[in-house]
Amino acid sequence: MAISTEKLSSILQNFVTSTNDVEGAALVTPDGLPLAASIPGGMDEERVSAMSAAMLSLGERIGSELARGSVDRIFVEGEKGYGVLTSCGEDAVFLVLANQSAKQGLLMLEIKRTLSELKLLLA
Amino acid sequence: MTTSTLINTAPVRPELGDFSSIICFRAVVIGIEDALGEKAAAIALISAGRARGRQIAEQLGLKSSVADLTAIAASLNLILGKEGTRLCIIDEITVDSTIRVSCRETICSSAELQGSSRKLTYTLGAIQGALEQMTGCRLRGKQIESVLRGSTHDVVEFEILT
Repeated sequence: MAISTEKLSSILQNFVTSTNDVEGAALVTPDGLPLAASIPGGMDEERVSAMSAAMLSLGERIGSELARGSVDRIFVEGEKGYGVLTSCGEDAVFLVLANQSAKQGLLMLEIKRTLSELKLLLA
Repeated sequence: MTTSTLINTAPVRPELGDFSSIICFRAVVIGIEDALGEKAAAIALISAGRARGRQIAEQLGLKSSVADLTAIAASLNLILGKEGTRLCIIDEITVDSTIRVSCRETICSSAELQGSSRKLTYTLGAIQGALEQMTGCRLRGKQIESVLRGSTHDVVEFEILT
C-alpha cells in the first residue's frame, strides 16, 4: 500500500502545533530524502533530511564502534533548544526541534506517542 | 551558453588545470567512509551529487516530462561525460513505471576490484538531482546493476515518489 504523505504531514503538523515548545518536525527516509516535514521557514528541507539521516547513521556507528549498543535516539542540546532524532522503524527517521523551554520528559513522551502513529502509517 | 561555461568559466588552476585524479577522489570517499561509516558517507555523497545534478539541469535550462527523458541523455553527457566533467558516460535512459539510467565508466566504480560491493553514491545523486530538476518529480534511486558485479553498465533505477 502506498504511503500517504498527506496523512504523514497531518500527523507532523498536529504534533508541532499541539505540543508545547516544539518548533518543527520532519520524517525522512534512512537515505536522507524528505517524506514529510513541518519545519521553521528558512530551513532547507532537503538539507535537514540528509543531515538527519546521516546523524542517526553516525550515531548508530558510534553505538557499535564504541560498544554502546543499539541507539534509541540522538539528542542535541544547544543554547536555543533541542534537536531529537529517533529511528522510526526501518523506513524512516523522525526529527523533532524544540526550544529551550521544552520539558524533556514531556517531549520524549510526545515523541513516543507520535512515533507509534507514524509507524502505523509506514507499516 | 557553451558547454565549457557550464562546467567552469575559466580554469581554476593555471598550471594543473581543473581535473584531478580518481586516486584522490577515491581516497576522499574511503576516508569519509572510514570516519563516518559507509551509510552516513553514502548519504552525504548522494546529497552532494543531487545538489550538483540540480545545478547542472538548472544551468542548462533543461526541462522535460518523464516520458521524454530518453532524449535527454545526450545533453547530460555534454556536461557529465567526455566533453564535460567526466563523471560518467550515460548510454541510455529508459522510462516505464520507473526511470532507468545505464551508465559506464562511473567515477564511483572506477579502480574497484571485480566483485566489490561498492555502490554508486555521488554519481547516483548527480543523475537523480538532474532528473528531479528537469521533471519536477521527487525520485528515489537505487543501483540495480554494477560493472563490478558482472554487468556491462552501472544501472540506476528511479522510483517516482511524487
